[in-house]
Amino acid sequence: MRRRPRARAGWQPGLRPWWFLLPLLLLIALFILLPVLGTFGTSFHEDTAFRGRSFNGLANYLHALRDAGFWQSLTFTLLFVLVSVPLELILGLGFALLLDRALPWRPLLRVCLLIPWAIPAAISARTWELIYNYQYGLANYILRSLGLIDAPINWLGSDVSAFFCVVIPDVWRTAPFAAIIFLAGLQAIPRQLYAQARVDGAHFLQVFWRITLPLLRPVLIVALLFRTIDALRVFDPIYVITGGGPGGATTSLSLFAYDYFASGDFGYGACISMWLFVIALVLALIYVRAARFAAEAT
Amino acid sequence: MSEEVWRRLLTAAGALFLVLFSLAPFLFMLLVSASGRPDFLTESVPFSVTLEHYARVLAAAELHFPRYLLNSCVVSLAAAAAAVLVASLAAYALTRLPVPSKMALLFGVLALSMFPQVSLVGHLFKMMSALHWINTYQALILPYAAWVLPLSVWIMVSYFLQIPRDLDRAAQVDGCSHLQVLARVLLPVARPGLFAVFLLAFIFCFNEFMFALMLTRDAAARTVPVGIALFEGLHGETPWGTIMAASAVTTVPVVAVTVAFQRHIISGLTRGAVKG
Repeated sequence: MRRRPRARAGWQPGLRPWWFLLPLLLLIALFILLPVLGTFGTSFHEDTAFRGRSFNGLANYLHALRDAGFWQSLTFTLLFVLVSVPLELILGLGFALLLDRALPWRPLLRVCLLIPWAIPAAISARTWELIYNYQYGLANYILRSLGLIDAPINWLGSDVSAFFCVVIPDVWRTAPFAAIIFLAGLQAIPRQLYAQARVDGAHFLQVFWRITLPLLRPVLIVALLFRTIDALRVFDPIYVITGGGPGGATTSLSLFAYDYFASGDFGYGACISMWLFVIALVLALIYVRAARFAAEAT
Repeated sequence: MSEEVWRRLLTAAGALFLVLFSLAPFLFMLLVSASGRPDFLTESVPFSVTLEHYARVLAAAELHFPRYLLNSCVVSLAAAAAAVLVASLAAYALTRLPVPSKMALLFGVLALSMFPQVSLVGHLFKMMSALHWINTYQALILPYAAWVLPLSVWIMVSYFLQIPRDLDRAAQVDGCSHLQVLARVLLPVARPGLFAVFLLAFIFCFNEFMFALMLTRDAAARTVPVGIALFEGLHGETPWGTIMAASAVTTVPVVAVTVAFQRHIISGLTRGAVKG
């Protein structure tokens, strides 16, 4: 094939790069930015399917502050993050440390870790729902077989147990995921460092605190940030397992807002999801600040 | 020596825990899906193997299950293909062309994943209703493609950065246009990356729940996660065998694909997260 060399207009800087970016920018503008801005706008309106749309300023936001349901779901969401994220990261780190050793069956173990993550969360939640089931559930069966309980427990019936019933599936699904990320970080640590430490007679706990953890810190911080943001918007397992119950005790902010959208109250739903966004943003900024501060301090 | 023994024991126990932890719910799902009665654990009935739940899931018209599966596959394939295409074009511009404030653009795209899904879903519903797109494939494909783009772009950029510039310079000298350089040089070299992005995008779309829940109303338009989440019995009794069989029919292929292509998936995931 014959082509004119070099002198093509395409190689000159100019508008050309934007043609390559256009599909990306268009999709993001239409299906992410526009909906977010739309939600932001709607949050200052009364906007229900039945009574139409009218501007009401900050009324939704002020209403949220006086709404017990909002405070309940805010408390639950923060507690959920506070309990599930550390569990996920610690368990994930444990799995990663295990897989970082030269094990004969490492590939097999690594595949096992991918499975909980690959199964759709809403689907595995159905299995968890059955595990917690009062009559047929695996949880009651195991505990009764071990003689730990005499009568079956209604796991989804009390606030505290229902809380853990939605935490556990989330930990199950995301701890393995964290482990895979951590494992990549661990494998980037030069082996000589460990060998040197061993020559110096360091105990393995000392090696962990002095070498592994500091070198893994960037990955840990990224994982902490992403897991926190992700856990803040938890929705799938809660919708399926508890539906937010009992009595709203496990309603996350995502579910709280979603329920308003689903019932046609767009104004208040939009306002709640803006609160959720602002909380995620504030937490992210705090993390980034703290990470930078810690990096400067060392 | 005895420390070494302890170490080995601990490692073995850890490995056993890992396997049980990640597989137990999946195995329980398979067990219930193939058992004649859901109460086999508590009643002293012998465990009987049956395929009736599977037959029901695949054949019963009122469950629409094959339709859910088809919907999920169409939507996820289309969205993943779109994401790969759009992300390759964008990654080409971001790594090979003079784009002003590249880093700002790249981090801006990443920051988009900060938005909770619920802050999009209300307005998306309004948009799709106005377009009369509720219950259509495009109502899910387009938001899905946009939703997986930040991750896709980051992974593609990381793959493209690894390809030596000499390769595309040589193609340029031969007179290739940008699109030709991308299609004939970069994409073939970055094929593992392309495949990783496609797989990840597919899995994310296949697993998505909230958009699909809000943007589909008809049973015939639902995706699998929504369909299974909403499965209820007719008479108040939850048909656990059917639900677990449907879950198994859906997850076994997903698990098989994950196992077969684990290398691609892990490399994609770690690029997306560690280097981000």
